[in-house]
Amino acid sequence: MNLALVSFLAYTAVLLAIGLWSYRIVEKVPIAKYEEEFYAAGRGLGGVLVALVTAGAMASAGTYIAGPGMCYAYGYSWVLINITQTFMTLMLLAAVGIMVGLVARRVNIVTYLDIFRARYRSKGVVLVMAALVTALLIPYMATQFVGAARVIVQMTGMSYLASLALGSGVVVVYCVAGGMRGSAVAMLLQGIVITVGTVLLFAGTWRAAGGLAHATAVIGALDPKFLSPTMLGAFPWPFIFSVACIGGYLSAGSPKGMLGALTYRNTVALKRGIWLGCILVFIWTLLLCMAGVLGRAIIPDLKVADEIAPWLAMNVLPGPLAGIVLAGIVAGIQTTVAAGAIVITSGIAKNVVQELNLSLTPSRMKAVSRAIMTGSLAASIALALTQPKLVQWIILFALGGIASSSIAPILLGLFWKRGNAWGALASICCGMTLYALAFTLAPRIGVFGMHPSFPCTLVAALAYVLVSLATPPPPEDIVQTFWGRARSQELAARAAADD
Amino acid sequence: MKIDEDPRIKVARRGLTLSWTFYSVFLAATLAAAALSGDEPRLFGLPRWVALACVVVPAAFVVALVPIVEWLIPNIPLSDDRKDAR
Repeated sequence: MNLALVSFLAYTAVLLAIGLWSYRIVEKVPIAKYEEEFYAAGRGLGGVLVALVTAGAMASAGTYIAGPGMCYAYGYSWVLINITQTFMTLMLLAAVGIMVGLVARRVNIVTYLDIFRARYRSKGVVLVMAALVTALLIPYMATQFVGAARVIVQMTGMSYLASLALGSGVVVVYCVAGGMRGSAVAMLLQGIVITVGTVLLFAGTWRAAGGLAHATAVIGALDPKFLSPTMLGAFPWPFIFSVACIGGYLSAGSPKGMLGALTYRNTVALKRGIWLGCILVFIWTLLLCMAGVLGRAIIPDLKVADEIAPWLAMNVLPGPLAGIVLAGIVAGIQTTVAAGAIVITSGIAKNVVQELNLSLTPSRMKAVSRAIMTGSLAASIALALTQPKLVQWIILFALGGIASSSIAPILLGLFWKRGNAWGALASICCGMTLYALAFTLAPRIGVFGMHPSFPCTLVAALAYVLVSLATPPPPEDIVQTFWGRARSQELAARAAADD
Repeated sequence: MKIDEDPRIKVARRGLTLSWTFYSVFLAATLAAAALSGDEPRLFGLPRWVALACVVVPAAFVVALVPIVEWLIPNIPLSDDRKDAR
């Protein structure tokens, strides 16, 4: 057994232990508090965990596998594109995190779809969003599993199927057993492993490539396009800008990232989560992408570009260090899958069940939550068996689809009192329909070479505003719940009287 | 639809304004550095635009973000019983 595999198996064993430990914690929680504990970790996460939950959930295989892969395939231009995602924790936690934190405590919001339920009080909005999030997150999670399996194939030489089972099985255990609590604790370990692994990979690649100046000269000699910010026109500026918008402005609607906004303890934790998350995403993105570009100077003819990061780990670092790097890459992927699984499970087990008026006992709800989580992960694993090539395009497709349909109902819904359920429904349907058309019958929707999600999001936001203005305003008690202070004063007075 | 607005909403709005303004300035600076810097002379052994747009500008903004967030977003209680400000 090689040393890299030993390091990786040790990491996996610790994750399994975390899963079992968090299972015991979740099981001890009173049944009335179970949902808050399982989906929102008791709303008690500190700054470091908030940073890791948010950054880990949002920086996916697109950062750890496909990021270096795209940089290997397209040179420095993709470093520029990926680096614009540096501030995604800011764009979520600062933009909507405070508002979500306030309302979540008022009306006990513990899931992403609870926000829609509380704001729009519409069965249609919740059910459509649940279907959409599930339909887009399952293939997205599948791409994550593909990335993890490719890493393990490189590392062990095992078959793709066995690698897929090894990389995904442990996620199933700690997610299903420990819910958000298990995932958050696992993310603490994973965050450390990702950061150490990233630094090691860059340092090893830099050394093997003979330094930045030498590697840049070699890459430029291979093809001058690799040194151009637009790949000599292959990626026009509007395309770069539109992808930057997905990782920036449109992050505010991310269901996976919203876990950070639902779980932070107080504003001190929120602020620490914001800047620490940005530091982590910057380090991960820059070093991994640079390693991908420099890798071209070491091995110019790798057949599957997405395999560059694991290839480098196995070929430029000694065994145990390679194991840490590979564990780090797999860890990054696992954090994203865990977040996706929690979003899907909470959406179906809590919100869909609630909307369909299915009365389940609390203990039955527990079993249903775990069954749905297992089912969603199993569906993703099944899709991962198809082994797509460059997974970044699928990731961008899923993220763009979620952004197109959810950003207006979330962002405008939280800050514009006049927005209503009809506007939200129109925006979701309009955004998703246009987005589907852009990838099938009407590719010209991506005007000026932009990624289609950008124009689709703008049109969806316009639909939200116009339909909201054309239909009756939301009920007064919703406005009061989200923006009013009468209730808070009343409760504060009551709390003071109790004290 | 007039309501007595919770003063904490102002902090939430400030968070939104801060994040969108900060990111807009960052994106403009990054894209401008990439478009205008050119390849030569090399910086840290990298094409000049890579060193500026992908390393120097993002690093400067990340460092600047820490005091900006700490100073411009005040600590507020999140629950209505006002026990969790810190």
